[in-house]
Amino acid sequence: MRGNRLQRARKTHRTSALSQFNSWLTFHRLSLCLSMPVLCAALLLTTRAGFGQGNPAAVADQHPNPDQVWTPQLNAADRCATCHPGVAPPGPARPSVQQPDRVDPLVPHHTKDWGCTVCHRGLGAAAEKEQAHQPELAPAQPLLPTSYIQASCGICHRADLPDTPQLNRGRLLLSEFGCLGCHRLEGIERPAMLGPDLTDIGSKVSAEWIYKWLKEPRTIIDDSGNTVVSGYQMEPRMPQFHLKEEELRDLSAYLSSLRSNPVDPYKFDPKVVAALENSPDLVDQGEARFRQMFCTTCHSLAVTRGGDTKLIGGDIGPEMTKVGSKVNPDWLVAWLRNPQAFLPKSKMPRYEWSDQDLYVVTHFISTKLTDPDLLQGVPKLGAPIPEQIRFGRRLFLKKGCGSCHAAPGMKLQEDFGPNLASLGAESISHLHFGNAKIPRSLIAYLQAKISDPFSVNPTAEMPQYRFNSADLDAMTTALLSMTGAPSSSAMERLIVPRTQAEFHPTGAFAQVYERYKCYVCHQFNGYGGTLATDLSYEGSRAQRQWLIDFLKNPQTLRPSLTLRMPQFNMTDQEASILADSIGWNLRSPAVNPASVDPAQSTPQMAALGKQLYEVKYQCQACHSIGAGGGYVGPDLSNVGNWMTAAWIEAWLKDPQALLPRGIEPRRALTEDEIKALTAYLMTLRQSEPAGRAAVAAGVGQ
Amino acid sequence: MKKHFAFVALALYLGMNFSASRGGAAVQDDPRQKAYATEPDWNDPQRLIPLNYQQARGKRLFYQYCVWCHADSTPAGPSNRANLNPVPPLMNDGAALNGKSNEFLLDITTLGGSAMGKSAMMPPYGRTLTREEIQALIAYARAIAQPAYQPPAPREPEHSGR
Repeated sequence: MRGNRLQRARKTHRTSALSQFNSWLTFHRLSLCLSMPVLCAALLLTTRAGFGQGNPAAVADQHPNPDQVWTPQLNAADRCATCHPGVAPPGPARPSVQQPDRVDPLVPHHTKDWGCTVCHRGLGAAAEKEQAHQPELAPAQPLLPTSYIQASCGICHRADLPDTPQLNRGRLLLSEFGCLGCHRLEGIERPAMLGPDLTDIGSKVSAEWIYKWLKEPRTIIDDSGNTVVSGYQMEPRMPQFHLKEEELRDLSAYLSSLRSNPVDPYKFDPKVVAALENSPDLVDQGEARFRQMFCTTCHSLAVTRGGDTKLIGGDIGPEMTKVGSKVNPDWLVAWLRNPQAFLPKSKMPRYEWSDQDLYVVTHFISTKLTDPDLLQGVPKLGAPIPEQIRFGRRLFLKKGCGSCHAAPGMKLQEDFGPNLASLGAESISHLHFGNAKIPRSLIAYLQAKISDPFSVNPTAEMPQYRFNSADLDAMTTALLSMTGAPSSSAMERLIVPRTQAEFHPTGAFAQVYERYKCYVCHQFNGYGGTLATDLSYEGSRAQRQWLIDFLKNPQTLRPSLTLRMPQFNMTDQEASILADSIGWNLRSPAVNPASVDPAQSTPQMAALGKQLYEVKYQCQACHSIGAGGGYVGPDLSNVGNWMTAAWIEAWLKDPQALLPRGIEPRRALTEDEIKALTAYLMTLRQSEPAGRAAVAAGVGQ
Repeated sequence: MKKHFAFVALALYLGMNFSASRGGAAVQDDPRQKAYATEPDWNDPQRLIPLNYQQARGKRLFYQYCVWCHADSTPAGPSNRANLNPVPPLMNDGAALNGKSNEFLLDITTLGGSAMGKSAMMPPYGRTLTREEIQALIAYARAIAQPAYQPPAPREPEHSGR
């Protein structure tokens, strides 16, 4: 009887159940030993042998028609829908409905086409409920808890997806915290620079500071004297290594001896020094310049308010709360004048400094951003002796420091740790749990290993990182997504690769672009940072003179933002080169400069536009002109001097055509309304009396 | 021969079953592990609200498009809510939104406030977001609502005889 049913099922799917199991097994690369329970289950179903009928839990006994979904391109087949009739069609959530009847939420991949195990994992071909769900019964492919399910998206989608924030963050953390120094990871490439190059580290910091850093890299301490740990932003990128006292001394001695290019102290203009040296407000001047130049857009400083210590500022560069107690003042001056001379791959822009600015800012950093207790507890190390240096050099290699850091005469230690490219598909029988009292599952193993490598392996070389639980989950998700290279060419076609072609300008543009590292914060044709505005179409948007003024003295355009573009003290020539190059190279095909003739706008059109702005569309909900209005969109007080009329027109037609993720909604404006609004906005110029702008903004309130 | 192999396989299978029957249960029992994402209750940040995929998608869209006026704190810091008159409801305001049907919320988001007799400061998103995206936003609003949202009971089919 049951044989007949199965034969029917087999006919429908044009393949035998056993061969599907076999191909499914190949896909998941189960070892023969582990495949036994599955094979056995298959045999229970496919043979007419008597012992199968004695098992009351067999799915086929309770559900006469196994509902099977076969996904040939993934070599996957599962029968989850046999017991979960609710999965298709998907629908809105009804929390009162429990499994197995719960409806699958509206996910992009319909179970009808993809089955269930492609995302949820688990043994979809299992014949028993327990076997399908419990990780210990399916050691190679345990059911994935929903909180980690984004890992399955990452198997095919190597590029970040908008709706997998946990996976994206996990990948970011794996890349940011230097995991790629020692491990190979599927789909994430080794960054250009992991840790800093240590070739001249001895000219930057003292042996004592190196000792402290190696022993405990975390330096932010709260009111009660505890080292503050609050995840990603607070953590130094350097993990903590388990080093013995002798090892600390030897490594510090070796590293402090690395100074092949000693710093040549910069000679300040004696007149500047004489004028500032004894100035009573030297530190205040320095702090003011430090703030005006917006160093904190990339670097953060710890601030303690009401017993709560927080970092204020950006995380592109290292946190700088105590940097004055770290670096040699002569090195600091040389670094600020030309960071790339010391670290060629540094993201730090090369500012244009006046002697006065350089003098006051370095003075502020060296005297105010300090902590006299930073090196408390560090023994006096004295001059390094050759034997210590030799031992230290050996330790440098033994501990795998060369995985992230370059040092003279050392080759980069790639693949110092195990290859993790297929860790997410690892069977728990291949993992060493040691004496750890944790569940025997891959997820529990990953979390134990990342939070405390010693807990599963007391002789681990892996250093200690500290992540909060959300970040730990994110990293676990990203690691679970790494199931190795695709096993079949059909599967390979499903992989959505990571693409980010670098944007390399040429000529004079390239020199300024590289000098100020524009791409660290801005996007250019899909390449670059996401901190600031996408500049891919800036040449169509901004007027040339406005660009030059802005580059010389950047002011915020969005009142709600706290991070601003640093003031680089660009020269006039550099600002002109940038403005011209942006105007020529970074244009949108959707903006036609000839489409609007400003000469044809009449005062009547502008008056109608004002009416539309204030009454019909109430743009002041998000934009401000003068004193009144909202601060979701940019301030429009000076938009007539800032943007081109062609850009405004194209933007009003379809904002997302110019900025795909822009939040201004596209409205159904008529041609005449667009012309009128453009005419009105082009009349908004800051040189006009401030009173009029204020009145204009107040009308709609 | 075939039977012999089947016996060996069964023995191995049972052995596996027995040896692996520890651990793992704790992972399965944590309710947080059953959610695609979570959102702290706005009125009680200690309490995490589980979100499914659709609600999580709504959360992402909310923090991109809506948070600026429908929350009191935003990723950029200050909220634009206080600049608006009338003051828009908070996204989790169950008292204001639970009484509104999904259809009404879909319409006002798609067509804007003025089309539905409300403030013109609420712009229309029907040409920017898809219908599915707006439905995801509504699903998110329903999930975080305080007091909690109770979906209306499915309506009885109407009989022509009445």
